[in-house]
Amino acid sequence: MRSFLYFVLFLVIAILVTVLTAILGDQGAWYFAWLVGTTMIVLVSAAGGAMLDANEENAAQNPPPVEHRHSGAGGAE
Amino acid sequence: MINGTVVDLSRAQFAATALYHFLFVPLTLGMSFLLAAMETVYVTTGKPIYKQMAMFWGRLFMINFALGVATGLTMEFQFGTNWSFYSSFVGDIFGAPLAIEGLMAFFMESTFVGLMIFGWGRLRKGQHLAVTWLVALGSNLSALWILVANGFMQDPKGAKFDPVTMRMHLTSFQQLIFSPDAQSKFVHTSIAGYVTGAMFIAGISAFYMLRNRHMDIAKRSFRIAVLFGVLATIGVVTLGDALGFVDAQAQPTKLAAMEGLWKSTPAPMAFNLIAFPEQAKQKDVGAVRVPMLLSLLVTHSLSGTVPGINTLEQQAAQKIRNGIPAVEALKALSRDPQDAAAMAQFRAHRADLGYGFLVQRYAPRLSQVTPAQIERAAKDTVPPVAAVFWSFRIMVALGLMMMAFFVLATLYSLRNRIQNKKWILKVAVWMIPVPFLANEAGWLVAELGRQPWTVYGVLPTWMSASTHSVGYMVFSLIGFVTLYSIFIAIEMYLMIRAIRIGPGEYDDDGAAPLLPRPMLAPRAQPAVPYGGNLEG
Repeated sequence: MRSFLYFVLFLVIAILVTVLTAILGDQGAWYFAWLVGTTMIVLVSAAGGAMLDANEENAAQNPPPVEHRHSGAGGAE
Repeated sequence: MINGTVVDLSRAQFAATALYHFLFVPLTLGMSFLLAAMETVYVTTGKPIYKQMAMFWGRLFMINFALGVATGLTMEFQFGTNWSFYSSFVGDIFGAPLAIEGLMAFFMESTFVGLMIFGWGRLRKGQHLAVTWLVALGSNLSALWILVANGFMQDPKGAKFDPVTMRMHLTSFQQLIFSPDAQSKFVHTSIAGYVTGAMFIAGISAFYMLRNRHMDIAKRSFRIAVLFGVLATIGVVTLGDALGFVDAQAQPTKLAAMEGLWKSTPAPMAFNLIAFPEQAKQKDVGAVRVPMLLSLLVTHSLSGTVPGINTLEQQAAQKIRNGIPAVEALKALSRDPQDAAAMAQFRAHRADLGYGFLVQRYAPRLSQVTPAQIERAAKDTVPPVAAVFWSFRIMVALGLMMMAFFVLATLYSLRNRIQNKKWILKVAVWMIPVPFLANEAGWLVAELGRQPWTVYGVLPTWMSASTHSVGYMVFSLIGFVTLYSIFIAIEMYLMIRAIRIGPGEYDDDGAAPLLPRPMLAPRAQPAVPYGGNLEG
């Protein structure tokens, strides 16, 4: 039942977005650009934050290999 | 006739309050969506650090929001107190968006701001996120209605002057809100706010990184802010170009002033990179020009042209001549609304009514107007060129500077090397005031460029003010400047204090620390069973 209610809610939102897009596409292209652009800016910047976490977690799990210096003596051996 | 000094003082008062208010507004517009971005990461990843970030930046947002609301209130009242003729003339159109803005700001925005700040620990994660998004939408939508009203002043669409009621009537609400000027102005201003919010957060995060404090929060905030900022600056420049394109059609005198374009020239037109415009002599001194660029910028074509000020003045003189019979007919109609001949005369000349009003300043008896008076009124249609020209260049230069900064900062942040680049962190701190200056310069271009009109081509500024005394205006101007300077000082003090304290410490699970209790709130008492007294 809960899934069905969510389905109805998202369907209503999808229909509203479609109607809004049709109206704004005709009458207010810049308003439409603002809606799409703002959503994109927020999501890209949020993804940037999440990517930083992923990079740090990856670096913690896979530390870079320790570099061994080859001394001159070692080379002679 | 209204005293010219009173008109100038009314303008100075509105300009001062608007410039102060416009220091707070863009930060609210931008920070609200940045908070939404941080909280979206918190809700989707469940990592407590993003909650800590949203709470800390939310505290700074709240300081700015409170003072922004306080400075904005008086502006709406000024329409009634200092611009009463304007309010009566266009109130039927201007009132609706202003009222919707008031409802948005005080009901939607303020209610959800309260829930956002005090709802941590009281609302569920998803509910709180929805509230934060609604705060961001509410702030920006309240700006939308103000800019719809301002768009009408720049390019009056969806309204018509009624010679019987002697004021403008709304003919199409749709045309009013979808006017190209309102649309492009809203998107340009809103996204300029995003740039402001991004620079503010990037600058403060850089400050923490330079001091090696709150590194985890600072690195994440910086990353989110610079990505937000780089996309927003690209948007603001693109949308500024769109606004210039709209202005070229709707307000050619503003565009000519922005470009210091005294004379019409054939295509492709050169762009004045630097010049020192002299209004009296109608020429640019020390001009450094880029060939062909102006045609490309304002018409998006090498063969396109825009008229220079000399052509626009000639057109204005013609419009003034055509507007004079409209004003005379209006005077006849005010004496006898049934006068059919006057109504016919008005209808034939109504398109240039505003230009007829313009010359009335110099020729109260329009039947005796002289060519010199018409020429003088035509010269008045040109805004203060040097101020508009330089404000525009300052805005554009600062915008491009911010774009360069954000591109570089994003590059280093994405490579996880930003904490080692001390010089760019230092630059970020010094860049904090830059978007504020760019915003103020942009506001000056928009409003000074509209002069000598309050409603472009319809109502001259000199007719719009109230009939106050000079003493009253000087007193209230000093009062406003003093009060608003105190507000700025309070904001700076509270912001610096909150930044020095920094983000608070939170539990690992992201639970908020206990909030201080209001003094009068009832304290929780240990539960005592009803039978307690009986037992004693």
